[in-house]
Amino acid sequence: MLGTYLGPLRWQVAALAALLLTGTGLNLLLPQLLQQFVDNAKQGAGADVAGLVRLAGLYILLAVGVQLMTAGATYVGARVGWTATNRLRADLMAHLLSLDMREHKERTPGEMIERIDGDVTALSNFFSQFAVRVFGAALLLTGALVMFFREDWRIGLGVTVFTGVTLTAMNRVRKLGVEPTRLEREASARLFGFVEERLAGLEDVRSLGAGGHHLRRFLDVQRNFFTRSINSWRRRSVVWQLSMALFAVGYVGVLGAAVGLYASGAITLGTAFLLYQYMTLVEEPIDQLTQQLQDLQKAGASLGRVSELLALRSAVRGGKTPLPAGPLPLAFRDVTFSYAPEDPQARGVLRRVSFDLPAGQTVGLLGRTGSGKTTLTRLISRLYDATQGEILLGGVNVQATPLHDLRSRVAVVTQDVQLFQASVRDNLSFFDPHVTDAQVEAALHEVGLSTWLARLPDGVRTPLPTGSLSAGEAQLLAFARVMLRDPSLIILDEPSSRLDPATEALLTAAMTRLLSGRTAIIIAHRLDTVARADRILVLGDGEVLEDGRRDDLARDPRSHYAALLRAGQLNEHEGVLA
Amino acid sequence: MTTSPLPQPPVPVKERTFALSKELFRYKPGLFAFNLFMWGMVHASPALLTLAVSGVFRALEQADGLKTGGQPINPAIAAAWVSVAWFAFVRLSRFGIFYGAFRAWIELWYTLDALVRRNLLSYLLTARRSRRLPDTPAEAVSRFRDDVEDVAGYTEVWVDGAGFVLYSVVAITLMARVDPLITALVCTPLLLMVVFVQRLSPTIRTYRRRMREATARVTDFIGETFGAVSAVKLAAREDGMVTHLRALGETRRHAALRDVLLTELIRGVNTNMVNLAVGLVLLLGANKVRGGTLDVADFVLFIGLLPRLTGSMGFFGDAIARHRRTGVSYDRMTRLLQDAPDTTIVEHHDAYLNREAPAAPPAPTAIPLRELRVDGLTALHPSGLGVHDASFSVARGEFVVVTGRIGSGKSTLLRAVLGLIPTQSGTVSWNGETQDDPASFLVPPRSAYTAQLPNLFSDTLRENITSGADEAHLNRAVQLAVLEPDLHALSGGLDTPVGARGVKLSGGQIQRAAVARMLARPADLLVFDDVSSALDARTEAQLWQGLAQTDATCLVVSHRRAALLRADRILLMENGRITDEGTLPDLLERSGEMRALWAEQDA
Repeated sequence: MLGTYLGPLRWQVAALAALLLTGTGLNLLLPQLLQQFVDNAKQGAGADVAGLVRLAGLYILLAVGVQLMTAGATYVGARVGWTATNRLRADLMAHLLSLDMREHKERTPGEMIERIDGDVTALSNFFSQFAVRVFGAALLLTGALVMFFREDWRIGLGVTVFTGVTLTAMNRVRKLGVEPTRLEREASARLFGFVEERLAGLEDVRSLGAGGHHLRRFLDVQRNFFTRSINSWRRRSVVWQLSMALFAVGYVGVLGAAVGLYASGAITLGTAFLLYQYMTLVEEPIDQLTQQLQDLQKAGASLGRVSELLALRSAVRGGKTPLPAGPLPLAFRDVTFSYAPEDPQARGVLRRVSFDLPAGQTVGLLGRTGSGKTTLTRLISRLYDATQGEILLGGVNVQATPLHDLRSRVAVVTQDVQLFQASVRDNLSFFDPHVTDAQVEAALHEVGLSTWLARLPDGVRTPLPTGSLSAGEAQLLAFARVMLRDPSLIILDEPSSRLDPATEALLTAAMTRLLSGRTAIIIAHRLDTVARADRILVLGDGEVLEDGRRDDLARDPRSHYAALLRAGQLNEHEGVLA
Repeated sequence: MTTSPLPQPPVPVKERTFALSKELFRYKPGLFAFNLFMWGMVHASPALLTLAVSGVFRALEQADGLKTGGQPINPAIAAAWVSVAWFAFVRLSRFGIFYGAFRAWIELWYTLDALVRRNLLSYLLTARRSRRLPDTPAEAVSRFRDDVEDVAGYTEVWVDGAGFVLYSVVAITLMARVDPLITALVCTPLLLMVVFVQRLSPTIRTYRRRMREATARVTDFIGETFGAVSAVKLAAREDGMVTHLRALGETRRHAALRDVLLTELIRGVNTNMVNLAVGLVLLLGANKVRGGTLDVADFVLFIGLLPRLTGSMGFFGDAIARHRRTGVSYDRMTRLLQDAPDTTIVEHHDAYLNREAPAAPPAPTAIPLRELRVDGLTALHPSGLGVHDASFSVARGEFVVVTGRIGSGKSTLLRAVLGLIPTQSGTVSWNGETQDDPASFLVPPRSAYTAQLPNLFSDTLRENITSGADEAHLNRAVQLAVLEPDLHALSGGLDTPVGARGVKLSGGQIQRAAVARMLARPADLLVFDDVSSALDARTEAQLWQGLAQTDATCLVVSHRRAALLRADRILLMENGRITDEGTLPDLLERSGEMRALWAEQDA
């Protein structure tokens, strides 16, 4: 994964390496200057002042140089990190969007934010700092060890063993933190998912006086998050505690060795001081490495989840066969569908449904709520796949054609309209910059939203005022979305359910224009909505009760449709069927 | 009556941040004091370590002197070993202190975190008067995450700050004892640095704000995309959405890099100050060395103490910036809570972190409805649309329908009556008693409401319907809402998880579940906002018929004949005003608008 995302940035990565190498080299020189200074200074009255001043000046110069290199490296590192993870975010979002609806039903939008942004940001710290901190620290550590060996091979060996033990021990211990960290992030996703849902449904909660109840549930979720966070921090902190203990031993060891070697006359005072200084050069990178191990843990847990997501394969995959041009005939052949196919107890939502809809014709889909009407349409655009049987569009099995082709040829207007906090045009075009403002305006005029549009201060570029948008207006916007496209099959799922009759009339003309020359399915509770349909299909409990030309069915007194028509007229006065 | 929130009187941000944070510190005073003490020791102990190291080199230097004088060096070496032992002791005890300090800090930090979050949500869910989020829910969530973290994390400034002050005092005293002039000269650039960092902090704030805004746009967009995932997929617009995410990500990258650059600049200045200071000690020391007034041990002392001293100065500079950032976080939280007093955020409540929270308070007492009366109610959206001067009444047992065209203000009227949105004028009275806070008063057992687009939560269907009410009315509610047939179709019946915002259910099922939720608790007045729109004719008829058999009073937004024919009275709305009121035959006779609405239904 690192390779995929860092590969294209190889020049920046190279610049990073150069900055780090130079910086580390200079950093190792600094204690040498101090040693010379100490050995020179201890001569007291005999010291060479000009030499001391020169050393001091050189020290300042090099120190500033080191800082510039580090700053440069951090900047380049951050650049690399952000560029790489932005790509990862986009790829992850594209991948998640391609998953089928069964996957999406399991996840809240809040959780998606946590996965695509939370986890990837943890990775970003890793990407951007890994090179700078880990690589830089490793370089510095190696350099410092070499310097120890140059002074005295016994100390060099000792410190090398110490470094080896410390890093191994910390690496062992850090694994303790991975699982608690995963649990913590899970709890955090749940906590913020909970909050987001309650905020979105604030009016529902408050108007039912259920605030106290939801607050209590929140406290439960938060308690779980609290316990897991504390536990995960404690486990992770073992790494630092171990490092502190080990370094206590290390420093005492080096200081003791310096005193011992000096007492035996093996080294000078300046060298004793140098050894102590180099120990700080060992401590710093090991500290850095340890801290990065923390991030590495987080990143490891995040990477695990991200790879898990990337490994998910959509059960709904497209084929290769293109759809023929023009209006498309539709056919269902023995289609059975269940939302839980693995559960034999569950009754199928659709059972052995077969029917034919010739190209360019409109079918009115009738049936009680829960009879499977919406599910039937979801199978055509493949939000779900039929459990058994096949669906042919233009003679091509919908599973054999590319998904993108299929969905751009099939337009669906659903009962609930999903809108974004974005401009009107972005809402209608789904952020497609190729759609012009004029096209959007034309679509709005066509669905009868001209007066509404005229009230917007910046026209179609006005941010959509979701708060003051009525459900009916939202429904009209959904129609305008379809007007922007040129689909071959149109599915209207209760298109006028939220429209008052007066507003609906506005739309009828536009709808007629849209449906002419196209194949269409209209789901409706109200008979007048399907009064202009060519055919009628009545569903009952997942099965086809009736299928035929509307005129024929209306004339046949024994048909369900005719019965519905009679019931409609009969009950009109009792107010049962509106 | 609810009025729109008044703008907060301008409280000086600085004072407020202190005052509010003080309340937080007082939440767990023992734990806070323990943290101060432990972290004070953690931060001050390095001064002792440096002193010990300096002792080692002082002894060695003496040995050097003895050696040149031809005397035995053993006593000096022994002194050096004593210093090493002292060093070892301080190091090891520091380890123990750190262990305790860390645990105490984590406990404090997450406790305060939890308290602030609890207070925010508690206010939004249960406080009086109307509540509207100033931003999207996803944006509001970042108040709960990032801003809460800032506010609780600000405690760190104080906990660490005390330790750093202690260290600085000890370090400066030790250095001044050696050479006051060098100490003064070395500390000056450090002070300059604090000034420099403080100068930059408004810029830091701007950059941080931009960075956070850019982040919010990214997270909002992801949330919305997946909230609308089926629409995106059905429109085959996945590519467009990803492209837009890229653009937002690019903006964020620029903001982040500027932030990094500035932070690095400040850090660079910090670090360079240490080096500059060490260099200064070398320069100034060079002359003194010859005079014998400065020896190697002093030198070790300076070099050992300086980095942490600079670190402390950097910390103080950063503390000022963090203080300001915390102020901004408080600002944003206050904006989220709108009419709440500042102190709401930091109020002391049990956050129930170690035990289960007690049951929610019982529903308010029932006051059987005789008449609901609305007088001169005006509720306007910022756009100027809304409801003007609405007056009507509903008597016990009545079925009153509000009708009108799209955008005529029907939903707004209901929500204004229920106090769910702010109103500008007018009164709502229950049995003749004016209610100044309908949002708190008009809840079960007095009134219940189902929105046009109800929200369910990711839980089981049962939990969604009961929402804390007991299950006594559950079966009746399920029957009345005609949800029973759906239960047979769902594999887990009432225990089926409905998924995020109820995505596992169909539109009609969500609507019926919401009606059941409303009926699961007894209420005198039932308020429906166009609830029949997702129901077919027979289901809808069953619902109204079932309700007719109870003695419920209904206020219903609808434009359908099923409701209009059943209505005892109809309120006709046009352009945000109630233009007529009466029975269906009366209205059909005298109102052209009513005839238009009615006539359209003849296919």
